[in-house]
Amino acid sequence: MKRRIQVVICRVCSGAANVLDVEKLLRVANEAPYVGSAIAVNYACNAKTIAQIVEEAKSREVDRMLIIPCSKSDVSPALFQAYKKKAKINEFLMETVDLVGEIVLPHRDNPARAQAKAESKLLAAITRMAMLEPLQKSSEKMRTKNVVIIGAGVAGVEAARQATQAGMHTILIEKSDKEVKAPGVVMPKTRLVSAKGHAGNFILTIEAGEKRETLECAAVVIASGGDWSDAKGPLVQACGAKPLYRLVQEIGEGIISREGVVIVDTPDPKADITSAQDFAWEDAIQSAIEIRKKSPETEVYLLFQEMRALGLDELSYRDAADLGVRFVRYDKKRPPHADPKDKSKIVVIDSVQGQTLSIPYGGVYYASIAPNPDNVSISEALRIPMTESGGLRRGSMQKGPIATPRPGVLVCGSAQFPRSENISRLEGRAAGALAAQLVSTGIVEFGGSVAEVTPDKCSACLTCVRTCPFEAPFIGNAGKAEIQLQLCQGCGMCVGICPSKAIELHNYTDDQLSTETASYIGGDF
Amino acid sequence: MAEREPKVVGYCCEKHGIECVNLAARSGKQYDASIRLVRVPCTGRVDGMHILRALEDGADAVFVLGCLEKNCYYDTGSIEGRKRVDYVKSMLSQVGIEPERVEMFNASSSMAWKFPEIVSTMTDVAKRLGPIEPRGDRQ
Repeated sequence: MKRRIQVVICRVCSGAANVLDVEKLLRVANEAPYVGSAIAVNYACNAKTIAQIVEEAKSREVDRMLIIPCSKSDVSPALFQAYKKKAKINEFLMETVDLVGEIVLPHRDNPARAQAKAESKLLAAITRMAMLEPLQKSSEKMRTKNVVIIGAGVAGVEAARQATQAGMHTILIEKSDKEVKAPGVVMPKTRLVSAKGHAGNFILTIEAGEKRETLECAAVVIASGGDWSDAKGPLVQACGAKPLYRLVQEIGEGIISREGVVIVDTPDPKADITSAQDFAWEDAIQSAIEIRKKSPETEVYLLFQEMRALGLDELSYRDAADLGVRFVRYDKKRPPHADPKDKSKIVVIDSVQGQTLSIPYGGVYYASIAPNPDNVSISEALRIPMTESGGLRRGSMQKGPIATPRPGVLVCGSAQFPRSENISRLEGRAAGALAAQLVSTGIVEFGGSVAEVTPDKCSACLTCVRTCPFEAPFIGNAGKAEIQLQLCQGCGMCVGICPSKAIELHNYTDDQLSTETASYIGGDF
Repeated sequence: MAEREPKVVGYCCEKHGIECVNLAARSGKQYDASIRLVRVPCTGRVDGMHILRALEDGADAVFVLGCLEKNCYYDTGSIEGRKRVDYVKSMLSQVGIEPERVEMFNASSSMAWKFPEIVSTMTDVAKRLGPIEPRGDRQ
């Protein structure tokens, strides 16, 4: 394998010209081993410049490219595509160096040191570049374009609508036999038993009535919602507190108590609650507003420890206050309770004013939504971690607010933690659209910079199997660990932990990392 | 002769870590140039050996920067990273090297203020402790 590197420095966007001596950087690059050509251009993303760089790459017969553009996230993916197509350079042999973010901006007060640092960074990058190996991605076809949605609540139905609009075939699984108005197939009295496979090609086992069936699908949307059964707590026993959705139903039917309505955050105010997120406050405030509008003589009290309405719903605080909804903040140590002498009153100490209020009520409702007990079986089937409070956990925020740690599985609505109806609807729409986006390509891409086991070194100790959050490693027929490429995300956790050093992450091998580090340490600045 | 500048190596994850560095740069933060960042896909990839070899190759201090533990891109990566760093620290104290030279940090991509803090912590350690000397020369 020949190793000839082309170094391309973008003068303008990299910001190098302002602080650094680009000509000197080019000289340093040219003197480094394996460098076939080093050029500096203005605007590396310009079509003319790309043609010039490709021309140079072809004439010098380079097979790898080190680009110093603005920053990796801004423009480089497009650049990579252009060079990959036109100069026929393997996509894993192209890398960027972020001189702007790492050197130019943070060290612009000290140009001499910045220059020395940039030179040794460049040399370290060239050292790494020369050790990279060309890799190929593989792909397989999706067997179906099904999107399975678990739960036919507000979020699930909305997800089905959105995915159908985008041309996907949706299958809605609902555990009860309630009537569901949604496009696609609706399967009542059905629940998820287990799941196999990976994003693009899942095989689910479902139980419809008594029968077990397998179901192939490309993406899964979980919209299991919360637990709508009545919760337990002192306020339920003493005052007959009901969940908030009953209030919404009663308002819809025109049944509004004239004696006053109290909406409290939880039926068990003494218990530990995790955060202000755990309540459907938007719906509570909207209901309060509606009651005051429809029946102005009804007093409405909102008792809370912490309240947070999301986004533009914050505006409804003022609307509610203008309509005469009373907001009372209480302390957990002195929780609201039924008046021992007069059961038709609820006593609460306003922690802001210090006043003791005795509120007559016609109905007490609570804004908390308990987590769905079915989350346990869903999380076990789809291998998704759960939160401490019993919801399904989402992945890192960088993946987006409705992605789970497992690729191809999305979660929306109250399955994560209590959501108001509006937000459930929005999340359902987002989940439907994202599932459709994932499925629409029809192809699953995998491989590239992923882990690989050297069977001779493997002692089948299962450490990798236990460590991988994506469950990619398994012990194969030969009694050695193997990596299922479709599941491998290329994080390298199994590589770092393998006691036998039997696993390697392509292009991030121990040798490559240590040599790059040594080269960078070697620079004096 | 000019004062010797410290040498600090930072293994930095490509997800939240590098975004934190980038945001710090773009919000105009200035910090010491002695930091040498090496990208890894995830801090779980970092092996105790990498850290030890960096110290052997002449680094005065090594830090690992990963995602926040509850917000890691690869779910448990930064927790794994911390385990390795803690292991290396316990090993260093056994061979008579100050364990403060190795440290693990967590940051999310929006914590621009965090990176300059990390840099000053680590460069302070490196300046205070100086280069690692062969054991025979120590008292």
